[in-house]
Amino acid sequence: MTKRKHSIRRKLTRIIMMTSTAAVLLATLGFIGSGALKFRTRLVNDLTTIGSVIASNSTTALVSRDRHTADHVLTALHNKLSIVAAGIYDDRGKPFARYEPHLEFSIPPVTRPDGFYDENDRLEVFFPIRHEGVRVGTLFIAADTRDRNARLLQYLEIATGIVLLSLLAAYGLAAWLQHGISEPIVELARVAALVSKDKSFSVRASLSRLNVGDEIGNLIIGFNTMLAELEERDRKLVLHQTQLVTTVAQRTAELTAANEELLAAKHAAEKAAAINAQLARESALILNSATDGIFGVDLEGEPSFLNPAGARMLGRSLAELRGRSMHQLIHHSDASGNPLPEENCSMGLALRRGESVADADDLFWRPDGTSFPVEYSTTPMFDEEGNKAGAVLIFRDITDRRAIEKLKSEFVSTVSHELRTPLTSIRGALGLLGSGLLGPVAEKGQRMLEIAVSNTDRLVRLINDILDLERIESGKVELTRGLIDAQSVVNQAREGLQSIADQEGIRIVVEPHIGTLWGDSDRVIQTLTNLIGNAIKFSPANTTVTLSGTAGATEFTFCVADQGRGIPEENLSSVFQRFSQVDASDSRTRGGSGLGLAICQSIVTAHGGRIWAEKNEPAGTRVQFTIPLEIGEPVSQPAGDSAVLHPATPIDRDDPSVLIVEDDSDLARVMSEALQRRGLQTLHTTCGNEALTICTAQRPSLIVLDLGLPDLDGFRVVCELRKNPAIENVPLLVYSARDVGSADQSRLRLGPTEFLTKSRGTIADFESFVLSLLAAATTRTKDEPHAA
Amino acid sequence: MPPKQILIIDDENDIQEVARLSLQLTEQWDVMSANSGAAGTLLALSEGPDAILLDVMMPDMDGPSTLRVLQQQGVRIPVIFLTAKVQPADRQKFMQLGVRGIIPKPFDPLTLGQQIREMLAWG
Repeated sequence: MTKRKHSIRRKLTRIIMMTSTAAVLLATLGFIGSGALKFRTRLVNDLTTIGSVIASNSTTALVSRDRHTADHVLTALHNKLSIVAAGIYDDRGKPFARYEPHLEFSIPPVTRPDGFYDENDRLEVFFPIRHEGVRVGTLFIAADTRDRNARLLQYLEIATGIVLLSLLAAYGLAAWLQHGISEPIVELARVAALVSKDKSFSVRASLSRLNVGDEIGNLIIGFNTMLAELEERDRKLVLHQTQLVTTVAQRTAELTAANEELLAAKHAAEKAAAINAQLARESALILNSATDGIFGVDLEGEPSFLNPAGARMLGRSLAELRGRSMHQLIHHSDASGNPLPEENCSMGLALRRGESVADADDLFWRPDGTSFPVEYSTTPMFDEEGNKAGAVLIFRDITDRRAIEKLKSEFVSTVSHELRTPLTSIRGALGLLGSGLLGPVAEKGQRMLEIAVSNTDRLVRLINDILDLERIESGKVELTRGLIDAQSVVNQAREGLQSIADQEGIRIVVEPHIGTLWGDSDRVIQTLTNLIGNAIKFSPANTTVTLSGTAGATEFTFCVADQGRGIPEENLSSVFQRFSQVDASDSRTRGGSGLGLAICQSIVTAHGGRIWAEKNEPAGTRVQFTIPLEIGEPVSQPAGDSAVLHPATPIDRDDPSVLIVEDDSDLARVMSEALQRRGLQTLHTTCGNEALTICTAQRPSLIVLDLGLPDLDGFRVVCELRKNPAIENVPLLVYSARDVGSADQSRLRLGPTEFLTKSRGTIADFESFVLSLLAAATTRTKDEPHAA
Repeated sequence: MPPKQILIIDDENDIQEVARLSLQLTEQWDVMSANSGAAGTLLALSEGPDAILLDVMMPDMDGPSTLRVLQQQGVRIPVIFLTAKVQPADRQKFMQLGVRGIIPKPFDPLTLGQQIREMLAWG
């Protein structure tokens, strides 16, 4: 800054100084030059004048050659101190006369053309000398100019002094005058530096009065204007910036709000996800912790998940199961190893029908070929839209339960038998004693014996009922279902109790029972007997027990009503519980086991019916129960009754053989032995598949078939048998545990066929049937050629 | 007419005794007894009784086995099971073996003879 300030000032000063110097020097040189010129002009004029005079004076002398006169003429020059030499030359240019006052200088030996010549300290001139216009010689004069030169030097010294003085004055003036120019510029520079340093446009350069209106003034004004404009722009910029900041802040606030909303939504989503995850974890935990096996199948019946318990029980992992049919993997065969067709699979019912299906007695297979008993329930799964998505199946390995049930059943069976044996002796001994056959017994003793007998009987009933109940409830006793005529079972039950009713003075009224039921007739009779027995037991003499029945849409309702003392309202539902007695004294006075109604309930439940007790109006109790109605044709007479057969008919055939298809090996043995005694060969198998094989290979003369086989349904066996042309005319004896209805008979009668119910005939009857059938077949064979 | 001859086969001597006494006293039948299936079979073959009362559950040779042996030997004497096995399924199975009847244990000593007579259609 200082340097720059110095710099502009120095430059200005230098300019002024140089200008001044140049001016002074030029003036001085002009002055000196003009002085020198003026001095020379005067000298030339003098010399011209003198020369003219001399020349004219010397013409005669020269023409006349008078040297003396010529010298004399020249001598006239001696008062002219400045002339240092003079000479006259003749017309040939040879010196004629000379004037040489100073020894140091002589006239030149030859002439030079006319004119003035400036030599070092002299001015020399050559003049022509004429006479009557003819040149006769030349005059030479040399004037001393040293005086003039000294004077010019003096001038120069003076001029130098003047220059120096004027320079000094110029410097002072410049120093003073340059302020007007340098100061504003320095000021501008300072302000510019300030602006650049502080970045502030609010400063202004000050304007001196001196500069108003001049270029510097304009420059300062322009600069200040520029600053003002910059400042204004800056201000606007700041303003814009502020607005921008405001806008940005506003936008930022909006963004923040939006962001917060997003964040809140995100949190909500995360929370929902966490809840879902928790649910999923809990579901997984439940699935993983469950001791029951759980698996899911998709619509194709292929497994989609399997819990660890299920995997353990099945001996398979989900990965092994994927993409394969669950039925084919674990449910392919029954207990005997016979294949179960997938279309009949009860597991698939849930999928096909969209209903829950439960099975308390089934079997699942492991990969190693072993199986385990299961109970399971399978339920269809639906997605959010209610479309079927698959099914879930929950199963439980019931091996242990089966074992316990078996143990319990065996225990009950053994105990009841083991109790029965000593009771037989006791009962027999007491009976004989009480009869008096062994001798007279005192009256009180007789009474005690009666008590002992009746309680022994009661104990036996109790054992019987416990055994019965256990067997029904364990499902060990399969119901032997068949078509039952309602009237017939009621009549049978009534007949069994008529004598007791007569003893008690109770009238039994049987109303019409119209309907055909589907059930186990023995069990239905047992139920009715129990209920009627109860009614008699709890009715006072001379009252009536009414039996009525009504057929509904799907079930038949039996009703046993008495006019006894009735059952208190609060006990109506509990009477079916075991050992339930309305009055604590009942069991003693009435001799019941306390299990009768419980057995009734078990039987009815096993049939899929209901049993309940209610108040009878005006007095007594009404017990009702339902049994499903048969759907289809009514009961028909067993075929055996209509067959006209002669046991004695001789067998006219070589080595007739009989195939016995019967899963009860003991019975089969007896049947075999019976037929063998008649001279027949026998073959035996316990399963349907084997029967088909034997038939094809051996072609027996007759087939005895039990319908209830472990592997194949009897109907299926018959169908397969009759497809074979070699077998289609072989006589068939359907020897079944229950009566075969006419509808079933026609299904089975695909060739010569007869029916015999096991319970209706002894082995002897069976033998007669077989022999008759064989005889009939022989006759038919004999007739055939004639018919053809 | 000589009294009917009855063979009782039961491993329980007490039951044998009660039954024998019962039939002797109520029916005046000639009653003999054996306490095993084998002994009973031999007795049946040698004596040819009119009817056999046969227990079902016996060690070594049970009722059905004894019956079978008797049948195999061509013995046509009617056999009645006297048994503690009273379930319907058992009943059915026994009937199919060819027995004439089944009398459950415990039996009433006063009506035992009557039951037997009814089963055998004895007047």
